[in-house]
Amino acid sequence: MSFYSFLNVAKRVTISCPHLCRRILLNNHVKEINVGKHLFSSKPEDVTTKLMGFFDNKKNWGENEVKHGRNWTLPELRIKSNQDLHKLWFVLLKERNMLLTMEHECKRDHRLFPSPERLDKVKISMENLETVVKERNKAYHELETGETGQRPEEVRPNLFQIPERYRSKEYPLPAHLNKDFTVRKLLVKRRIFRDFLRKYREQDLIAKKRARNRDRNEVIHLLKRNPDLDKQMLQEKYPTVDIPMLEKKDKFRGHYVPKL
Amino acid sequence: MSTRWYPIWQKGNPQLRVFLPNFWMKIVKPEHRQPKHVVTFNVSMEMTVHDVRNYLRQIYNLPVIDVRTRIALGPTEADKTQGYIKKADDYKLAYVIFPRDVKFEFPDIFPSDSETKKQLREDEKPLEESKGTFRKFLSRSKNRRGLPGWYSI
Repeated sequence: MSFYSFLNVAKRVTISCPHLCRRILLNNHVKEINVGKHLFSSKPEDVTTKLMGFFDNKKNWGENEVKHGRNWTLPELRIKSNQDLHKLWFVLLKERNMLLTMEHECKRDHRLFPSPERLDKVKISMENLETVVKERNKAYHELETGETGQRPEEVRPNLFQIPERYRSKEYPLPAHLNKDFTVRKLLVKRRIFRDFLRKYREQDLIAKKRARNRDRNEVIHLLKRNPDLDKQMLQEKYPTVDIPMLEKKDKFRGHYVPKL
Repeated sequence: MSTRWYPIWQKGNPQLRVFLPNFWMKIVKPEHRQPKHVVTFNVSMEMTVHDVRNYLRQIYNLPVIDVRTRIALGPTEADKTQGYIKKADDYKLAYVIFPRDVKFEFPDIFPSDSETKKQLREDEKPLEESKGTFRKFLSRSKNRRGLPGWYSI
């Protein structure tokens, strides 16, 4: 990659930085969506037509099928500028609102909602768009700060000491000053929690034991039916089962005279 | 605010802005009669009055005068076969008030006129066709009742 093209990327990426994005928003978008005097002087007919934006095209009312395109794919969105993506997001948002309104009305009237896959397509497009924005944000942060800039998360014990995914968030107080947090920690020492945890672990152990037995029985069953089965393959498929040990048992023998 | 996670606002920081809001809103038919400049919306549960107002003003460019919201209870009913009780989720309704001269009526999307009936008739065409062929098949053995259909040349 040449130096200039790299710069180009960087230029494009900086726009996804929140504070710069705001400037762009102020420059381009707010001009169109300015909440000023002109808005309140708009004609009542205009308001009605704008509200009809929540409904599908009139020719599609009562149809069995509505023709539509496909969703936006990731490569298509990757070559768009940030401004375009920002505009596209609102287009998709309006489309989704329209579809939701129509779906609700169809349900209320006990009708079939024509081409419901449209909602899925809008959803996929929105997910893809968000992925692209996240990618750019990450690239920018990694370039500038060496970190992804994403919300940090870790696996840590919850109130019941069970490991859980925790996505960190900001608190107005640090942990050692937060009274609620310290009280929560103390609760864990209580006996009821200990008892609960013991029973919880027991459940887990029982489930594991059952799974082990199920595997063993499965292997016995298989070997009984097919004595020439590849044992190495079996061992790979059921790693918990001790096959050489099983072979010594009576259960393993099939209903036939063994070959000597 | 959208449902996304944003850093806590500290005094002196710039105001938080939402760049890609993921709220949804849908117009629903009002249950009771209401003034023509009031429109009922079904909105995301997380939305506040301010969110609804900003959403309509900035995305749809609508002159919103006032917004009132309430959380409606989802209907509770007994299952028809098993009899257990089930309850639908609660939802948030927003009553948005526009200037007095605005006249919006919820459109009649499925008018019960002849067009829809014609549509239905078109759907039933293949069924009618197959009925006709079966009748034709039966008519072959009209004069020799009781004989199976395959008993012929």
